[in-house]
Amino acid sequence: MSHTMAALSTGSAGHAPPTAYRRARAALAAEWIKLRSLRSMLVTPLLAVIVSIGLANLVCFNWVKKWPHLDAAHKAGFVPLDTNLNFVIIGAIFLGVLGALVVTNEYGHGLIRTTLAATPQRGLVLAAKAVVLGLVAFMVSAVICFTAFFTGQAQLSGGHLPHVSLGDPGVLGHVLGAVCYMTAVGLIGLFGAVLVRSAAAAISVVFALLFVLPALVSGLPDDIAKRDIVPYLPTNLGGSLYLSHPHHAVGVASTPIAVLATAAWVVVLGVAAAFTLRGHDA
Amino acid sequence: MSAQAGTAPRPRISLDSRLRATALSEWIKFRSIRSGPLNLLLTAAIVLLGAWLLDAQTRSGWATMPPGARASFDPIGTTFNGIQLAQLFVGALGVMTVTGEYTSGLIRGTFLATPQRAQVLAMKALVFTVVVWAWCTALSFPAFFLGQSILSSPAKHVGIGAPGALTAVFGAGLYLTCVGLLGVFIGVVVRRTPAALSALFGLVAVLPFAVNLLPSTLGSQVGEYLPSNAGEQAWHLLPGGAYMLGPWSGLSVLIAYVAVAALAAFALIRRRDA
Amino acid sequence: MDERAGATIEAQSLKKVYGNTTAVDGIDFQIKPGRVTGFLGPNGAGKSTTMRMILGLDLPTSGTVTVNGRGYQGQVWPLHEVGALLDARAVHPGRSAYNHLLSLAAANGIARKRVDEVLEQVGLTSVAHKRAGGFSLGMSQRLGIAGALLGDPGALLFDEPVNGLDPEGILWIRTLMRTLATEGRTVLVSSHLMSEMALTADHLLVIGRGRMLADMPLSELIARNSGERVEVRSADPQRMAADLRAAGAQVTLEPDGTLGVLGLGSKQIGELSYERGHVLHQLRDVTASLEEAYFRLTGESVEYRAPIPVAA
Repeated sequence: MSHTMAALSTGSAGHAPPTAYRRARAALAAEWIKLRSLRSMLVTPLLAVIVSIGLANLVCFNWVKKWPHLDAAHKAGFVPLDTNLNFVIIGAIFLGVLGALVVTNEYGHGLIRTTLAATPQRGLVLAAKAVVLGLVAFMVSAVICFTAFFTGQAQLSGGHLPHVSLGDPGVLGHVLGAVCYMTAVGLIGLFGAVLVRSAAAAISVVFALLFVLPALVSGLPDDIAKRDIVPYLPTNLGGSLYLSHPHHAVGVASTPIAVLATAAWVVVLGVAAAFTLRGHDA
Repeated sequence: MSAQAGTAPRPRISLDSRLRATALSEWIKFRSIRSGPLNLLLTAAIVLLGAWLLDAQTRSGWATMPPGARASFDPIGTTFNGIQLAQLFVGALGVMTVTGEYTSGLIRGTFLATPQRAQVLAMKALVFTVVVWAWCTALSFPAFFLGQSILSSPAKHVGIGAPGALTAVFGAGLYLTCVGLLGVFIGVVVRRTPAALSALFGLVAVLPFAVNLLPSTLGSQVGEYLPSNAGEQAWHLLPGGAYMLGPWSGLSVLIAYVAVAALAAFALIRRRDA
Repeated sequence: MDERAGATIEAQSLKKVYGNTTAVDGIDFQIKPGRVTGFLGPNGAGKSTTMRMILGLDLPTSGTVTVNGRGYQGQVWPLHEVGALLDARAVHPGRSAYNHLLSLAAANGIARKRVDEVLEQVGLTSVAHKRAGGFSLGMSQRLGIAGALLGDPGALLFDEPVNGLDPEGILWIRTLMRTLATEGRTVLVSSHLMSEMALTADHLLVIGRGRMLADMPLSELIARNSGERVEVRSADPQRMAADLRAAGAQVTLEPDGTLGVLGLGSKQIGELSYERGHVLHQLRDVTASLEEAYFRLTGESVEYRAPIPVAA
């Protein structure tokens, strides 16, 4: 025991203050450890994988089963890529919730005070969380989307339905679009949670934004609001990204615009979150 | 007072007094935190605003609507469509009425005061039902009248006396109450706010969408019996799309889900507290 | 019927097993009214588990525990008989102290004015309508105590009640507990604070690794489990030690020359020194302490132990 005390007394007092690079690395390491050590943070991506891949396969399986009984009109309107990727809207929810949990888990038990005591620069804390979550969301989404794609298309081709492969024009782009969309939703969940602060509000907002709002506005007749606002809701932007035949009823943004708009959602919310974090007491 | 043993039998307190005491305690708990009244206000705002916006949009776009759409247009269903969003708030309120106690540890104090846990849950659910049903039914009437007045000719609209109109207005209040109760019981089963909210919203908002992805007939066969799809028939005038359930049968399906959740909750309430 | 007249809390072969761990291993006790009973034991010894079982929050694996001969689980309006402070933070942060107590009172048919009374008794009247989430730890403790007192119960259980209180608050709670005991109530206090326990408790239950290690009055526990010794400092410690050993005492010699003597009283040591021509610098009776008695008793049963730091 005496040697531990001795080590403490002479310890780091002699070193120079840490550089920005070391601080950033430390913050990232802290956020990663926090994320991987909580059960809810591991269960959520796991559920995302199971539900997403399961749903994609379930849908394809049912199409294969029903195919002989469908009329010509339905068969003509069948889009293999879109049918396979339609699950993305649901899979994204899990990532949105994960993003929200990364933040709200800290507010719940006052852990935020410990975090800010270790890293007083709140912008750095937020950035570290965003980077760690972004990377995790990206990897989870990639696993989900590509696995769902391959298994789904395998089922379709096995059932002699129209199907596509990754090499077909535009297909890879759409799958990547799905990955990017899901990652973006994760970040939106994170920044949104910082803005509203309570776990309940954050999760309600994630579901409302991704599910209910699109459902509400889809039934409206065509007019200005619908043409200029609705296509830029996150879910519709996502649709523009990963669906080869998005629903024209809800408006379609071209691919470059969709990419920019999605990025804009993330960036604007991120900046708002950074400002909110500075202003609040922990 | 001398320290004589207090082992004399205590006076019997009637069941009526006990239930009233628990109910009063639950009411005090409900009304004394901000989120209770706030959620109710938001619910009202969303339903009323929804009625106004959705009907105004429809009214302005009426001329350009294709005749098929005009014929199948449901004036009450559109007016009340804000419920799709409002149900998230009522549901969240139901969840938090329970999970708020588990998260803060207050549930231990509640059970210390009333060791009969089933009684606590029953009275909590009862107070919630009465308050939410009264509020949501009260707000459905102004929403109805507001919406129908906006849907002025030539847009299709109905009066309160039209067949099915009164049913739909009451159906709106009942639907929201049921979703809220579903939240309460799911909250007891799950005990953590984010997980319970996700489970409730998943069941009510996401599952209908997922089922829709299935090929047409299968999708509607399963989808018809989902809690929200079935329950929504309660506030529609015309049946929705391929769904055949009428308002009362649809509501009954939703109530069945609530009953199952209630059974699970009552079975699990005796678990060790988190 | 005066329910303030104390209640007896009784356990028989009380046992609680969680999975592979035996938290409480068949203990018996009778906590009597009219005195303060202290509940002592290392962390993880089973104190909280026992308290939870008394209050019906956990069901025993076997054995029974009763208050006034009845189990807690089936009780109607138990706050009139038993009040407890388990966790000061177990309040909804958005609720005012007043409403928190009011909801508890309503659940057991306790009059509204009683809420004002207990708030005044604990000194929270000025913040009664403030959010409980904004309370300091000390204020939360007092709110918890107020909740325990609501029903004017005959038995009171306190788990770490002085945690977070300032010296004035500590004195206040100590006086409160003694007063409650004097009124004939049953008071059970679980605490780690030795000095406080020594001043407050009349009777002690010491528990270690789920087993009862001691169940006796405070004075007896100290007498039985601590060594009475005499500290001697003299001009020639070596010779002094030899003489004392020859007289039959056990002597320990400290590096600084102090002798610790067991077996001889200070009067005998003084007379022996005079006879043998020693120059005494210090002759001191070391009074036994509860802390010493506690460590001797529980030395083997500590579950979570951190090494005591040694100055470099």
